[in-house]
Amino acid sequence: MKTGIPWIRRLPPAGIFALAALLIAPVQTRVDAGLARPSMDPDLLYFSSPAMVKALALGYDGLLADIYWMRAIQYYGRRDEARRRQVPYKNLAALLDIVTTLDPGMIDVYRAGSIFLSEPEPVGAGLPQKAVALLDRGIAAHPQDWRLPFDKGFVHYWYMRDYEQAGRAWLLASRIAGAPPWLEALAARGLSQGGAIEVAKELWRRQLESAGRADLRENARNRLASIQVDEDLWTLEFCLERYAAARGAFPASLDGLIAAGFIHFVPKDPSGVPYLYDPSIGAVSLSAATKVRYIALPYNYRDAYKAKLARLLGK
Amino acid sequence: MRLIAIAGNTFRENIRDKILYNLILFALLMIVSSFLLGQLTLGFEDKVIIDLGLSSMSVFGTLIAIFIGIQLVYKELERRTVYALLAKPVARWEFILGKYLGLLFTLLVNVAVMTAGLWLTLAWHGSAPWHAYLRLLPAVYLIFLSLAVTTAVALLFSTFSTPALSALFTLFLWIIGHFNADLIQFAKIARSAAAETVTRVLYYLLPNISNFCSLDSRNVIQSAAYYEPVRAAAVGWATLYAVLYCAAVLALAAAIFSRRDFK
Repeated sequence: MKTGIPWIRRLPPAGIFALAALLIAPVQTRVDAGLARPSMDPDLLYFSSPAMVKALALGYDGLLADIYWMRAIQYYGRRDEARRRQVPYKNLAALLDIVTTLDPGMIDVYRAGSIFLSEPEPVGAGLPQKAVALLDRGIAAHPQDWRLPFDKGFVHYWYMRDYEQAGRAWLLASRIAGAPPWLEALAARGLSQGGAIEVAKELWRRQLESAGRADLRENARNRLASIQVDEDLWTLEFCLERYAAARGAFPASLDGLIAAGFIHFVPKDPSGVPYLYDPSIGAVSLSAATKVRYIALPYNYRDAYKAKLARLLGK
Repeated sequence: MRLIAIAGNTFRENIRDKILYNLILFALLMIVSSFLLGQLTLGFEDKVIIDLGLSSMSVFGTLIAIFIGIQLVYKELERRTVYALLAKPVARWEFILGKYLGLLFTLLVNVAVMTAGLWLTLAWHGSAPWHAYLRLLPAVYLIFLSLAVTTAVALLFSTFSTPALSALFTLFLWIIGHFNADLIQFAKIARSAAAETVTRVLYYLLPNISNFCSLDSRNVIQSAAYYEPVRAAAVGWATLYAVLYCAAVLALAAAIFSRRDFK
């Protein structure tokens, strides 16, 4: 009778390697499937104290700040995950706090972070107060940089609608050496609270021209395009209402407004796509084919705008 | 001359240990990170490359300093090669100093090649003018000083302890060395005079690694990442501290080694 050699000994090492290597991927997938189940608190911040993280950094503060900044971006960028949470961006302010405590020199973190925090849900955290606190820390660390008080004024103006605080912040910014001359005028206009939407447009235009970051420029471009869309639609609605009042019905197409002398041309949206017109109810809207990423204004400007048109064109 | 011979031999031994393989790892890390991190971060691409480069330089260097440093003397004793060496007209302090200088030279080559790798990555991927890269040199120099102190501490343990314990001791001292400022803080709030004295003594006794991490309350790697200049006098004081601390630790190591009986 042959003495039995254990079967495993007959397997060549290459065979064992191939077998094990082949099994790793399916096993990992099985482990991942377990991880994919919703946990009790998926939005967990292991270290919430910036001072503690700084102490544990062992001198590698800069690298840790970069890692936390990337984490903050991923946290902010994963919209689908945020939507599933009870509070979508609960830890965003704390993450940004850790980044700026580890490395107070990262000026763009204060700037971009304040926009992430201020934008209303679902685009941002909807926490403009936290954005102001973040910018205040930035201003304390970089008192010579006019962009931070400028951004603070912007948050007060646009997201909190506190025009006086906005004006004060811009006034502070305008007094810093190197600040552009238009800041003082902006501060004055903010403080007087006059021509709100005009100031807003000017602000977004300045952001579009002066922001060094592509994503901030893109946001400003979207905002300006959205205001343009609102104003186009309200102007067309205003003209359609006057047309209907005079003739008893809405025109068959928007060209009817040109023939009646209300407008010189039919506007298209900022991406060059014509607006949709429903002649049965006289409603105009943004086409589904538009490339404009429309963001609604945080407050209703429609009635004020139409009243302005009525004043300009006469009753 | 004998010192140089021992140092040269230690360097050759380290090279034979394939210690420079970590440079390939470093180069790969730099290339891959410059590709990937640019996608992950929002701005700060230069800063991320510099932070990662200098931090890796420090971490890799510290690991080499600890894991080679702890074996420097122990390996010679284990292989009994030390007998052949000490039978020749070589003083024991010369043996210790030669070993130390040999490892220090290995670390210098490491740091120099890593710096060149970091510069190449920045030249290829970065946005600052080339002369800004010279601003990285003070940080590289201070990292080297911290490695010099860590190596001296590792060598000290190597003269009387086993490699495993020496590695633990050195690693703990390296970590504690980052928290020395807390010790002095503790001394200030301590209610008993004895506790205050003990903490004060410990403060000066333990290696103050944080001296090489921040100058004038500013993190050295962070200053380099923003291409900020550092004060030459502050670098000078850190250098003097490193020289004095290494001298004291090496003298202690030589004294312990001289008293060892190799029968």
